[in-house]
Amino acid sequence: MSGSRPGEPAGSAGPGDAAAAAGVTGISVTNPDLPGPGATSPGGTRIGRPAGRLRHAEHVMGTVFSFDVPASAAPALPEVLSWLHWVDATFSTYSGGSDVSRFGRGELTLAECAPELAEVIAECAVLNEQSDGYFTAWPGGRFDPSGLVKGWSIERASNMLSVAAKTGPSGTGPSGTGPSGTGHSVNGAGDMQCTGEPERGRPWRVGVAHPLHPSALAVIVAGRDFAVATSGTAERGAHIVNPHTGLPATELASVTVVGPRISTADAYATAAFAMGGAAREWAESLDGYAVFAVAPDGATWQTSGFAAYTAPA
Amino acid sequence: MRRVVLALGGTVAGLVMLLSFRSHTASTASAGVTAGSGGTGTSPGASSAAGSGSSAASGAGAASAPVSAGSGTGTAVTGDAIATPYGPTQVQVTLNAGKIVKVTVLQHTDDGVNSQMIDGHALPLLNNLTAQSAKIDAVSGASYTSAGYIKSLQSALDKASA
Repeated sequence: MSGSRPGEPAGSAGPGDAAAAAGVTGISVTNPDLPGPGATSPGGTRIGRPAGRLRHAEHVMGTVFSFDVPASAAPALPEVLSWLHWVDATFSTYSGGSDVSRFGRGELTLAECAPELAEVIAECAVLNEQSDGYFTAWPGGRFDPSGLVKGWSIERASNMLSVAAKTGPSGTGPSGTGPSGTGHSVNGAGDMQCTGEPERGRPWRVGVAHPLHPSALAVIVAGRDFAVATSGTAERGAHIVNPHTGLPATELASVTVVGPRISTADAYATAAFAMGGAAREWAESLDGYAVFAVAPDGATWQTSGFAAYTAPA
Repeated sequence: MRRVVLALGGTVAGLVMLLSFRSHTASTASAGVTAGSGGTGTSPGASSAAGSGSSAASGAGAASAPVSAGSGTGTAVTGDAIATPYGPTQVQVTLNAGKIVKVTVLQHTDDGVNSQMIDGHALPLLNNLTAQSAKIDAVSGASYTSAGYIKSLQSALDKASA
């Protein structure tokens, strides 16, 4: 990520006004049934929430990104959202005209694509090696870096908010002695990057959805400046394929990876899920990342580093 | 203010949907569900406000009379009584510090076995869920789609705190 350019105006490296064409929505919690611009301002009334915090849910990439940020970060949100829509337009495998699709068909060279694509491909190669090939940007032989793009974009969005917090006019954080923390979280479809604290003196608490009991939590993790990613079949079925066999992975119900960076944690979770039972030994060898898994029969296991993240229910 | 009302209405609708989905997987009972709400002390004139504005034009915009139960434990919000294939149902949600802390059924279904399934199984689950969610900031889980998000606990958290 050293070559990343957080804070860059959305779409400047992409084709035309892709972000605008993708339909950037306004800052508000919009009704999920009603895509389209929201009508309310970020400073709207909140119930019981510590003063100075804002939540926003954005429909993008076929899912929803949830933001929990200090109000001081609100001015930076529109740019972050625009950038996410630009990523969607550029990296979409559903749109035949995206850079990724055209590159996959050989219509564009890598040099002709947005430079972010080369960055993503390079990171995919590293993760492929670290995961013994279980994480790949070529599932089924077809170019599809989607397995990294979401986590990568969550991380970039979080970095953009962090930069804005340090350089923005209101970057000094909430005034006074209120309980609001200055940290933020970006949750993309269940994978998230958290920074700092949501309230002063309190770490983030993230519930891990139980893959076998839709309304229950399997475990709660807590921390500051950390990422949580979960892969599983609960939402979209057996959609993760073991690249070494070509068959859908079914040996685990879900895998959760906790560590510093969401792009890495997300890819590790995908790889571990594809490995199945063999993931346990591999997971223990990971440097800086801890893993928790639930088997289809409900049995769970975790790596030795995971206890540092578990929080009392 | 309108956003708050919508959020609460959406939450109530979501809870009712959750009941329907959990107990009757093939049911379409949730399709026509509407739930309006008014909050104690927080949204005078909420009913009229809920019907105006562009983003209010959702399926959950039906207004109802506010019901107050806001003692020291939080603010209670009551949804409309809705008709389901198993009889009318009405729930009340108690919010404290922006989180759902309790779900109370004001009007139970009256359809025998199905009613018992809902009341005896789903509702305790729901209250257990809300007790847990009262302490978390976010939820990690298998990647959901836009449609899946609507039913997700993360969605409820976003709405409750928005």
